[in-house]
Order: sequence, then C-alpha cells, then structure tokens
Amino acid sequence: MANLKEVRNRIVSVSSTQQITSAMKMVSAAKLRRAQDAVTQMRPYAGKLKEILENLSASLDSSEGVFSRQREANNVLLIVVTSNRGLCGAFNANAIKQANFLAKKQYKGKQISVLCVGKKAADFFKKTEYKIVGSDLPRNASELFDKLTFDNVAPVAEKIMEAFAKGQFDRIDIIYNQFKNAAVQVTTVEQFLPVAPASQENKKSNAVTDYIFEPGKKEIVDDLIPRSLKTQFYKALLDSHAAEHGARMTAMHKATDNAKELIKALKLHYNKARQAAITGEILEIVGGAEALNN
Amino acid sequence: MHLEIVTPDKKLFSGEVKSVKLPGTDGSFGVLNNHAPIIASLKKGTVKVTEQNQAVQNFEIKGGVVEVLNNKMIVLAE
Repeated sequence: MANLKEVRNRIVSVSSTQQITSAMKMVSAAKLRRAQDAVTQMRPYAGKLKEILENLSASLDSSEGVFSRQREANNVLLIVVTSNRGLCGAFNANAIKQANFLAKKQYKGKQISVLCVGKKAADFFKKTEYKIVGSDLPRNASELFDKLTFDNVAPVAEKIMEAFAKGQFDRIDIIYNQFKNAAVQVTTVEQFLPVAPASQENKKSNAVTDYIFEPGKKEIVDDLIPRSLKTQFYKALLDSHAAEHGARMTAMHKATDNAKELIKALKLHYNKARQAAITGEILEIVGGAEALNN
Repeated sequence: MHLEIVTPDKKLFSGEVKSVKLPGTDGSFGVLNNHAPIIASLKKGTVKVTEQNQAVQNFEIKGGVVEVLNNKMIVLAE
C-alpha cells in the first residue's frame, strides 16, 4: 500500500496543527482574563461619572454644548474597531460587514470617512472608495491594542472630538464587538457624537441632595462631557479587546476539536490500510507455500 | 470619612482618611470630616491625602471631578 506513508505524514501534520491551535487557545484564555479584568476595573469609574453627569444634566439644559449640537449628517465618520490579528472566527468580518452596511444603507449618499482601529479593518477599507482618516493621529490607531491604557487612548479620542467640534464631521459612530461572555460577541453600533440626548426619565429622587457646585454647574458639565466621551471610546476598545480574545479562544477550541476528529478518522484509515497490507502479505506467503507443496 | 480615588485603569486609593487636599479648578481646597455635599471639578495637580494615622500620601492627577456625599468621597481622576 503506497498511501500508508502518506496517511502517516498527514497524521503527523494534523497533530502538530492541533498542538498549535490548543496553545493559541491557552494564550487567548490568559489574555482574555486580563482584558476582562480591565473592563471590570473601569466599571466603577464609568458608573460614577455617568451618575454625576445625569445628576447635573437633569437640572441643566445640556443641548447647547459643542458636543451635543445636532447637525444634518452630511459628513459621517465611522470608527471601525477590529483586531490586529486574524484567526478569531467571524469577529472581524462581523464588524466590517456592519460598517459596510451602515455606509451603504443608512448613510447612503453621504460623505463617509472611516477611522480604522485594528489592522484588519484598515486592510479592508484600503480597498474601498471611502476616505480613510487617522494619519494625523498622535499614534497609529492600530497600535493602541499593543498597550491599551487610558493615557494612550485619550489623545485619539480628543482628536476625534476636536474634528467634530471643528465641523469636519457631523456624525460619528463607533462599530465594535461588544463582549458578552467568552463565547458570545455582539456587534454593536454606538453613536459617539453628537452626544445622544439623555433619556427623559429624570429621577426626581436624585435631586434631593443639595450639592455645592464648584466652580459652577455649567463648567462642571462642560468639563465632564469630554471626559465621559473619552471613557466611552476607551470602553469600546476594551470591550472589543476582550471580545477578540473570547472569539479567538472559541475559534481555536473548535479548531482543536476538528483536528481531533480528523486524527481519529485518519488513524482509522491508516489502520485499515495497514491491515489490508498485512492480509495481502499473508495471502502471498500462503499462496507461495501452496505452490511449493504441489 | 471614606475616600476612593479611581481612574479608568485602576483604583488608586480606598480607605478611611482624616483630610484631603484637592487641586480645584478655582483653586486648591481641603475637605475634612462632615463636609457638605459638593461636586467640584479638578485641574492638574496633586491630591494630598492624610490618613487616620497621620500618614500622608500624594497622588498626581491630570484633572478630574470629586463628589462628597454623607462622608463618602469619590475622586474620579485621570
């Protein structure tokens, strides 16, 4: 049997692939834990910030700020958050598909620009007709994932906010994969700017506390809104980062399982071929002996 | 008075303190026990924390906001 050796070679190559995928799964699991910790770490900050902001804007007309002015959306910026590396299932494809859908349907006929965070989105949108922005950023947006800290992310968010304030864009959306759990990512579109008007449920119970405001309500709100925007942007990146590792972990888990199945099938095939070869040899020997006896 | 200093990345400080000095936008100010409820924005500077045992800790911040309510103080720093 000539294919005995071929099958053996395939078994060896499949099992070394399996080793790689299971190692990648382990690495992703470890990174996922750290990414998840980062999301948990920022939750108290984001929660408190939101609470204070709601407390303030309940008694203040906040529709006048630079960042909450609603304009007709002629120039749209889509911030597409993907990963830098592949091998994570449909993770990147989902975000890109969603961005494409928005550009083609909801913002049909508008001037669309794209800011890519993550190399995968950059690779894709390079080939489309949309304008790519972000070359003037303090650092390459895709490098953000190498060291994902608030200090690194904040300048990028500031640049985006500045562009909005100057009227370069009328509407900015973030498209990213939200982290639900290790196995589930939800592709989300979030309105970044202008700031979405706060929901109308003004809880009166909050207004009971008689705060002193220093220097003044309006100044504090003006100070807080950029802060909360930066936090929102940072949260989207953290979420996407955790989701990426979750997606990769699941994808690698499936790949390892597939490799296991494949090895099982190949082993069966190999043993069948081996036994057929042995049977053939025995037949030949018996045949030869019979011939001698006669 | 209980103090928490949080940044988006981590919790810098959490515990009982005696007094806190903060770099307010309109000038530096201190907070002692039983302070009236206040929300104030902060500028770049140092938060000086005096703990119950007189130990002093300094935290550099780039800006932020502070809320004091019922002897609970939260500094959202950057």
